[in-house]
Order: sequence, then structure tokens, then C-alpha cells
Amino acid sequence: MPRTEKASSMTMELEQTRRPSTENAAGKTVKSAVPQGSARARWRFGLWVPPLVTFVLLGSSWEYVAHSKPFVIPPLGDIAGSIANDPSAYWNNLVVTLKEVAVGGGAAIVLGYLLAVLMCEFKILERALMPVVMVIMVTPVIAIAPALVVAFGFGMLPKYIVTIIVAIFPILINSLAGLRAVDPGTLDVLRVVDASRWEIFWRLRFPGSMPYFFAGLRIAIPFAIIGAAVAEFVAAGEAAGLGAMVSIAASQANLEVTWAGISMFCVLGLLFVAALTLLRRRILWWDNHGRAPK
Amino acid sequence: MNAALTTAGAEVTARGVTKRFGVRGQPVTVLDDVDLRIAPGEFVSVIGPSGCGKSTLLRIIAGLLDADEGSVAINGEAVPQAIRHKAMGLVPQTPALLPWRSVRDNVLLPTQVNTAANAGRNLLDVDELLTSFGLGKDLRKYPRQLSGGMQQRVAIARAFVFDPPVLLMDEPFSALDEITRDQQRLGLLDFWQSNRRSVMFITHSVPEAILLSDRVVLMAARPGRIAEITEIDLPRPRDESVFLSPQFREYEIRIREGLRRVMKNAQD
Ligand SMILES: Nc1ncnc2c1ncn2[C@@H]1O[C@H](COP(=O)(O)OP(=O)(O)O)[C@@H](O)[C@H]1O
Ligand SMILES: [Mg+2]
Repeated sequence: MPRTEKASSMTMELEQTRRPSTENAAGKTVKSAVPQGSARARWRFGLWVPPLVTFVLLGSSWEYVAHSKPFVIPPLGDIAGSIANDPSAYWNNLVVTLKEVAVGGGAAIVLGYLLAVLMCEFKILERALMPVVMVIMVTPVIAIAPALVVAFGFGMLPKYIVTIIVAIFPILINSLAGLRAVDPGTLDVLRVVDASRWEIFWRLRFPGSMPYFFAGLRIAIPFAIIGAAVAEFVAAGEAAGLGAMVSIAASQANLEVTWAGISMFCVLGLLFVAALTLLRRRILWWDNHGRAPK
Repeated sequence: MNAALTTAGAEVTARGVTKRFGVRGQPVTVLDDVDLRIAPGEFVSVIGPSGCGKSTLLRIIAGLLDADEGSVAINGEAVPQAIRHKAMGLVPQTPALLPWRSVRDNVLLPTQVNTAANAGRNLLDVDELLTSFGLGKDLRKYPRQLSGGMQQRVAIARAFVFDPPVLLMDEPFSALDEITRDQQRLGLLDFWQSNRRSVMFITHSVPEAILLSDRVVLMAARPGRIAEITEIDLPRPRDESVFLSPQFREYEIRIREGLRRVMKNAQD
């Protein structure tokens, strides 16, 4: 079903706070004394003004601290200036990190979902693999990363592996829960007509698991970025990627470059989350108001 | 009953069905030596206190659960074979519709799986079927756009669409409010009277059971067993006017008394 909302939001939080008000604004209160136009205007005001106020306050506090204590944080203008001075250096590092996130995160998504499907269909696999999954999951990546760099060198491979390790668990755990959480009534209806396992998967479990899978994605994508950053910190000698850039700049007390790198991480994360939100809206239009399934 | 119509159903026979569940290592007998026969094209309601094993019996007939003892046959065939040719349609207690499928596609679901069993079968026209269920304007809608009663009608249409000779319904109207229920009962009665199939219908409502059924099976609890069976000899086709007939009152009194007896024995 087509969504009626026009503006797109950067984060799911915004999306969720907006939905109920959309329903208000969309009418059904046609006869109320307040004309729809002004209701909508008020709703836009409520949407944009509070975060704007927060950002303005944060920004001016930042500037105040940056000017009174320049060795703590650099002024925002200097950060922007640093990027404007040498955009290609930032761009190249961004591309390296982006590639790690895309490849490692992509592999984690595919592997995590496949593993969830296998564990759902073959309980014995879950019993065999879940303990290993738990062991790896509770071990801090920051501790595993140096070992992987020693084992696989400074190339891209250890970075992909670290990213996969961090990002795969939310996908796996959520998808498995989703594949299992199908309506038992529908399952019975299908079993009584001798639907095959594949048919039950394809018609019921796969689409039914998507809200859970997307909930997993929302956690996994920021995790993948953390994974890439951690791997680059650990293998900073290679000096490629935003993480390496931040790490090296910080060790040299180069505040502008440090913060420029951090802000690029921030943009990267927001872009991924925004893309995810749009994709979710396309695919999961049928899910209850975009909230997690009960 | 019209002979040509009754042949559309299949005979369901459950013999000596016994089922135990282990509760904390202790086996509890949920069904004890239950015999039930549903004639081809017969509408049988099962009524009884909660937890007496109605759903368990239905699930055993549906092949969703195995009996510990006894056997079930559909037209002389074992349940797994019957399932393979899609001999049974199930209406669960909740509509259990897929939110990402339109009303039409939800109804089509059973025809899209195990398609080998569709060969030579009279698949009903979905649009016609839904129109006769009063959902002709809602084919393209999605479940969440429908009321509870309409959703349950979609679930019933989903069981009828592949024209199985046996229909198993587990309290399909229990989640609905009383006014909606009345509507749904009469709708089902109408549809079934022109498409007679063998039906096992679980309900908590005595009037509902009498209105719809050829026989009402009363079950007792702990262990679950059949206490008595009442033939409902009201003329067909029936409509809501049966509620007013003196026989209806008699049946109602008789079954309610039976129910009271069964509940009282359970407390002793
Ligand atoms: N899987 C199960 N494990 C243990 N006990 C069960 C299970 N399913 C049903 N029971 C028990 O069997 C009895 C009959 O259940 P059910 O057939 O659902 O009753 P009804 O449908 O008549 O209300 C109940 O006491 C219930 O607690
Ligand atoms: Mg029940």
C-alpha cells in the first residue's frame, strides 16, 4: 500500500513519532473546529522544531567550549575547513570504510539469515552451533581483532571478518526468532493440506520473518560500522579507512582531522539507517505501523 | 437429506482414540477411548467444558497430533493419505490470515501448496466464493482493513476454496461479539446448506450447535470422553426462525442439562 507521508526522515525514531500524528492529520476529524491545514502545520512544527532546538543548543555549546578550551575540541568551522581543504583524502578513506561495511555487513546479512533458516529447519544444527555462537558473541571484538590481524595480515580480510563477527549475531538471532514466530493457526492450515517444508518456508516463514530481520538489520548496520572502525584502529599501520585516519590523527593530537573523521562516520551511519528506513517502508508496508511484531 | 448432496462429504471415523500428555513426568489422559463417526455431508458439533480435549480430538483427526491408541480414517483412508489429497480444510480459532496477502490471496493460499493434489479437483472460484460470503467488495483489501467477523469469514472461505470433503472448525466464532457471531453463524449455515460437506465444528455455544448441526456431541472432561450425543431433528434448510421453534427450546434445555451434569461430575 502506498504511504501517504511525503517527507522522509533520517531515523526510525522520527518515523515512529510521526505516524500517530499523521493519522490525526490525515482526517477523520473533518468536522472538528480546527481546519486540517493548521493541524498539519502544527504537526510539522512539532516534528522539526524540537530537534532543531537541540542541535542549535548543542552546536553553540560546542562552539563555546571550542573557543574557550581549544585543546579539547576544535571549532566546527575548522572541522569543515579540514574536509574542504583535502576532500579527496577524506573521500578515499570513506570509500575504504564503506567497502568494509558493505562487504562485511553484506556477508553478515546473507550468512546470518541463511544460518537462521538452517537452524530453524534443522534443530540439530541449532544445538550444534548455538553454543559456539554464544561464545563468540560474548567475546569482545576489540579483543579478537588484534588476533585476526596477526593471523591474516593488514589486508582487507581481517577487517571483513571482524565486521562479519559483529554484525552477524543480531541478524541471526532476530531472524531465527522471526522464522519461529509464525502464526500457529496458519501453520496448522498449511500442514492439513500437506504443504512441504519449502512451501511453508516460502509462503509463511520467509515473509513472516521479515519484520524481525529488519529489526536485526537496524542493530547490525551500526554494529558493522563499529566492526570496521575497530578493525581499522587495530590495524592502523595500514593507514587506510576512516578508523585508521581518526586513530592516527588522535595520536598526533590533530583535532580537526580527528573530528572530521568522526563526523564522516556519523554521516555514514545516518545514510545507512536512512536507506534502511526507506527500504523497510517499501517491503514491510503490511507490518503493524512499523513497530516490532508482538 | 438430499442424497446427491450428501455424497459430497467423506466419512470420518475415529475409533478408540486415546491421548495422553506428560505433565511434569506424569501422564495425563486427555482423551479416553473416544469413538466418533461423522457421516458424509453431516454437520457434527462438539461441545463441552474447557480443557475436555475437543481441540485435541480435532487435531488428531486433522493429523496435526498423533493418537497414543486408536485410529482415525477419512473415507477408509488413514489420515496421512487423506492429508496428501487435501481431504480436509481447517478453520482455526483465530483467523490466522497472512497480513501481507490480500483477502483474495489469503483464500487462495491452500490451493498454492501441494499443488499435485489439485489435479481433477473442483477448485471453487475465489471471487464467487468471497462474494457469497459477503466479501465481494473486499477482494483486494488486506486483513487489517477488515473487522474480526470479516476476517473469520475469510478464514472459512480459505478452508472451503479447495472443496475438501471434510471441514474441521475449532471455535471459529468464539473471538467475536455476540451480534457478529449471530451473523457469522447464519452465513455459515446458508453456505453449508448449499455446499454440504462433513463438518466437525467445536463450539461453546449451545444455540449455535443446535442451529447448525445434525448431531451435537457432548464431551466430559478428565478424562476427555463422549458423554452423550443429541440428534437435532430440525428440518433443513434452516434459518434463524428455528430459534423460535419449541423443539429448539427442548434441545437447548436437554443439552444445557447434559452440560451441567458433565460440569458437576467434573467438580466431584
Ligand atoms: N501439548 C500439550 N501438552 C500438555 N497438555 C496439553 C497439551 N495440549 C493440550 N493439553 C491439555 O489437554 C487438555 C485438553 O486440551 P484441549 O484439547 O485444548 O481442550 P479444549 O479444546 O476442549 O478446551 C487440557 O487440559 C490441556 O491442558
Ligand atoms: Mg480448544
